[in-house]
Amino acid sequence: MTLFHGRWRVRVSLLAAGALEPHEEPAVRAHLASCDACRADHELSARALEVLGRDPVRSAEMPLSVASLRTRVLARLDEAPAPRPFRWGFAGAGLAAAALAVAIVPTILEHTSHSSADRPVATEKLVSDEVMARMERRVARDSAARYLDEAQDLLVTVSAHPADCEKEHGRIDVGEEARRSRDLLERRALMVELGGDEVASAQPLLDDVEGLLREVAALPECVRADSLDAIHRQMERRKVLMKIDLLTRELRG
Amino acid sequence: MQQLARGERDALGPLMERHNRRLFRIALSYLRDVDEAMDAVQETFVKAYQAAARWDPVSDVGPWLSRIAVNHSIDCYRRRRRRQQSEAPMPEQTTEYDARWRTGDPSPESEAAGREIGHRIATALQALPERQRTIFVLRHYDERSLPEIADTLGMSLGTVKSSLHRAVARLRERLGRVTA
Repeated sequence: MTLFHGRWRVRVSLLAAGALEPHEEPAVRAHLASCDACRADHELSARALEVLGRDPVRSAEMPLSVASLRTRVLARLDEAPAPRPFRWGFAGAGLAAAALAVAIVPTILEHTSHSSADRPVATEKLVSDEVMARMERRVARDSAARYLDEAQDLLVTVSAHPADCEKEHGRIDVGEEARRSRDLLERRALMVELGGDEVASAQPLLDDVEGLLREVAALPECVRADSLDAIHRQMERRKVLMKIDLLTRELRG
Repeated sequence: MQQLARGERDALGPLMERHNRRLFRIALSYLRDVDEAMDAVQETFVKAYQAAARWDPVSDVGPWLSRIAVNHSIDCYRRRRRRQQSEAPMPEQTTEYDARWRTGDPSPESEAAGREIGHRIATALQALPERQRTIFVLRHYDERSLPEIADTLGMSLGTVKSSLHRAVARLRERLGRVTA
């Protein structure tokens, strides 16, 4: 087999999978007729796909009638809408709006009272400090829980070796995971500013997670499997995944 | 779909009639659990109803539903994997052959063979990277053409081709002992 065969390998696989475009098929078949290596390759793929074709899932029937499914779906639609996932943007906008209200409303009221002296002066804030503090605590807890959830998902993906690197043979592609780690670290910085004391009890775990994210963020696009295994061993040693599970449950109440 | 977009729930029936079987197979190929797969089909239709107003009438509804089912199944699978990892790190993944999937009335021998082959295939599929697995599932279990898969997943045709090739190569390695 020569390097030239690399060009045929994809097409031979696609032919075995029945996914080759019709106009490409004659050329691939002609090549197979003259190339023993590609023909053997095709036979192995075809045999594996024949086994895959025997998967009982391919002929599985849903053990639920359409009427029952419809009843289930309608019941689900009638339920109260599930709580929407936390959104940084919405929470930020909500807090900003509340803060704006606290800052502006007394000024407006004061201004109004100057212009009409005979009216009673309004001195109460529209949003009390207590309500504001409660909102802030809620935002801090939600954001910490969401951050940990996403970090956990990322760390699990990294330790499961996400995908082969197409640029370097024998290495794992973690480009996407490194980028996501950097995004999460940026959010972490914002979260600490926002959370203050509220997330203080989570500090040791947040530090562990941050350390792991920094390691992932610093990885090159294609890495050796043992680099990821080292990260996985650290996760195991510190029981990071289990701690994240416990803490996110606590944070979400 | 246009009726669905107007909030007419009666439109769900024909949509389910047409797509529930193949959506079930997509979900089952990921989750290998009948109850989870049924829940995934249910949630696919719930999400389709809730998002019907955003559906582009120019596009085919089949791939759109497939994408919802795939995304939901991946989420379920990740949640399960996270749960397994946090409870017992990196467990051996197993799958159960559920008699409720099967069609007809197979003999005990063919049921045992089906169970064995189903288990091996599930294990081989679970070892695929997510992108390869999704592309393989859409091709093998939903019988989508490669341009349809590219369209469904928003990928280039070249990426779909090379990912399918890699998936087949990996599955071939994993299933080597069965095919030998």
